[in-house]
Amino acid sequence: MKIATKTLHVKGMACAACSANLERSISKIEGVIKAAVNLTTEKLTVEYDPEQTGVEQFTEIIDKLGFRVEQDELKEITILVEGMN
Amino acid sequence: MERALKKLDGVQDVNVNLTTKRATMKYDSNIIKISGIKKAIEDAGYTPLDLEMSVGVDRDKIAKENEIRTLRERLITAAVFTVPLFYISMGHMIGMPLPKILDPAYNPLNFALVQMVLAILVMFAGRKFYTVGYKTLFRGTPNMDSLIAIATSAAFIYGLYAVIKIMGGNSDMVMELYFDSIGVIITLIMLGKYLESVSKGKTSEAIKALMGLQPKEATIIRDGKEIKIPIEEVEVGHVIVVKPGEKIPVDGIVTDGHTSVDESMLTGESIPVEKNKGDKITGGSINKNGSITFETQKVGKDTVLAQIIKLVEDAQGSKAPIARMADVIARYFVPVVFMIAIVSSGIWYITGKPIEFVLTIFISILIIACPCALGLATPTAIMVGTGRGAEYGVLIKGGEALETAHKTDTVILDKTGTITEGTPKVTDIITEQGILEDELLAVAVSAEKGSEHPLGEAIVRAGEEKGVELKNVEQFMAVPGHGIEAVIENKNVLLGNKKLMTDKNIEITLQNESDRLAVEGKTPMYIAIDGKLAGIIAVADIVKGSSKDAIDALHDMGIEVAMITGDNKGTAEAIAGQVGIDIVLAEVLPGDKANEVKKLQEQGKKVAMVGDGINDAPALAQADIGIAIGSGTDVAMESADIVLMKSDLRDVATAIQLSKKTIINIKQSLFWALGYNSIGIPIAAGVLYLLGGPLLNPMIGSAAMAMSSVSVVSNSLRLRKFKPLHLI
Repeated sequence: MKIATKTLHVKGMACAACSANLERSISKIEGVIKAAVNLTTEKLTVEYDPEQTGVEQFTEIIDKLGFRVEQDELKEITILVEGMN
Repeated sequence: MERALKKLDGVQDVNVNLTTKRATMKYDSNIIKISGIKKAIEDAGYTPLDLEMSVGVDRDKIAKENEIRTLRERLITAAVFTVPLFYISMGHMIGMPLPKILDPAYNPLNFALVQMVLAILVMFAGRKFYTVGYKTLFRGTPNMDSLIAIATSAAFIYGLYAVIKIMGGNSDMVMELYFDSIGVIITLIMLGKYLESVSKGKTSEAIKALMGLQPKEATIIRDGKEIKIPIEEVEVGHVIVVKPGEKIPVDGIVTDGHTSVDESMLTGESIPVEKNKGDKITGGSINKNGSITFETQKVGKDTVLAQIIKLVEDAQGSKAPIARMADVIARYFVPVVFMIAIVSSGIWYITGKPIEFVLTIFISILIIACPCALGLATPTAIMVGTGRGAEYGVLIKGGEALETAHKTDTVILDKTGTITEGTPKVTDIITEQGILEDELLAVAVSAEKGSEHPLGEAIVRAGEEKGVELKNVEQFMAVPGHGIEAVIENKNVLLGNKKLMTDKNIEITLQNESDRLAVEGKTPMYIAIDGKLAGIIAVADIVKGSSKDAIDALHDMGIEVAMITGDNKGTAEAIAGQVGIDIVLAEVLPGDKANEVKKLQEQGKKVAMVGDGINDAPALAQADIGIAIGSGTDVAMESADIVLMKSDLRDVATAIQLSKKTIINIKQSLFWALGYNSIGIPIAAGVLYLLGGPLLNPMIGSAAMAMSSVSVVSNSLRLRKFKPLHLI
């Protein structure tokens, strides 16, 4: 079995009860091997089988619980391009 | 073209502007490089020119600052309404003036309505408590916000009831408005959240400092010209120029020039390191005094700096086993508190207490209970602890490693490269009468020139350091396993071990000295000229300056220290004696190191294994804690739990100390958090009142609750002051 690891930045957790709930909900998903939520860094780390589940499902659960995922790996660039009419 | 870019993996939000001739997009640098994006533009039939980066924008920092700003604005709003609210409700009791229009004695309804409006405004500033609190409550996963939402809502409904009564003419109810409590509770809890957020920001300072080491630009040489390009565009094989005072942008090998480099931010080593042609340099270190050019070897996430950042980030996000208990408590905490609040106020109601008494109990319990402090204790301490470690070049890979390390009672040190320098050096030159030291060395160096034997290389290095002049070698013959036979300037020279001397019938005249060298664990090389012993050159892998201090420090901590080596017993004992090793494991084949670790573990010891080489990897993995030391190979880093950037054994003691301090800190915080709740909740439930004491005012409860999470985070922040013993 292949194992993938993904870390998501989760915003909106007020306290330890929230992080414990999220951790439990994610752990219950079929195909998730291990889920850990860190309240201080606001990060969810999931080890999972990519054939059974994926980030979409995690995001769905996170949204459902009233938190949101923050995209933080994107950088913005602007490229000057020649030859466009 | 927009379509072509959108198709690329890792590219989002593409926007092509025809008038400005610009394509703007967001991309994930882990998936696609800028060169890949440019190629897609070319493939679509266009020519990409310059690019503009949002240089210097730290999105994480901006997000955090926005969050703190929002919290502060809402806090100020809440406070602005709470102060007059509190004044109106309480001021007149201590004789402060109140306009007649609001005076409860003359206009009770105005008095009540103004407070109600102010309370609504405060509740609006704190609306997040209600939106999140009720949402999570109805979903069956109530959290801290639910507690506050229910408590203040109950107070508000009772206040509303009082207002209706006042309208009906019952002006006694003016003493039973709960609007001031609502205002103070919400304001104080918001204050607590704000302070907590500010302190939490400080916990990530260490990793922010590491990220800040990465320069944004590099100067590369292209077609003989120096041009500046964004760091993201630097690729392997580029030739980069670094001027004095500049930061080295990525990892590479010096091709020209020499300088000294300050690597202290990466390794904790405060003395600058000399770099010459052929030396490796690391991105993020600071070029002090010379101009150099170097060829890039690693960029992006492959650089040492990026790996350190990733390692520290992963560690900070990981969980320590000690957090599990807190997590379990946190999961059941809120529902249990609701139960306690309902049951206690129910009991008081049955015993015939008036409704406002029962309500005070109910609100106080919900308000004073604080699951936050419990949840924050472990992650904040781990974050600060691992961050502080990184500043000293001690990288701890996770919460579990941090927690296990503090239980260590036995440390096994690999000898070569760990206790010792790892490269043999000439330590003694002993000559027969009438022969000069330099003369002997010159003969030896000439004979060994071009040798690939480590002992021969050590002699050649010593000769280079002393600047001896090479002699003319007329004949040369290697005697495998014994040494060298040569004719140098018409003299017959023999250089080798004792066996070579006895085979050639050379009398060993310097017997006492030779014995002494053996006891000291050094390897003597005998040199005979024209059939007579001329002298001995001793070579040894010398002990690092800090090794003895490090082992003393471990002893002071009550830790037993073992040494593991493939050397024979005699040499091993000699080194062990010099540094004060307790257990000597000599003549261990590389493949058996893991087994020796296991044997000690079977005696019930918690073993930390310290090593630097590839053949240590199984032993590092077998040990309870594997510590890879200095210049550690990637393999060793992979199987290690703790990575020491410097090659200094004292950092082993530092790592264990840091682990101990962090675990103590976590235990303190958990103790306070648990203690606070287990004392606060009974008081709020009226235990003191039962014993003839006062009833807890919900406003004081909210102050206590706000302070509890702030105090836990502040306690963790104390770890920022951690200092290794050898630096105190």
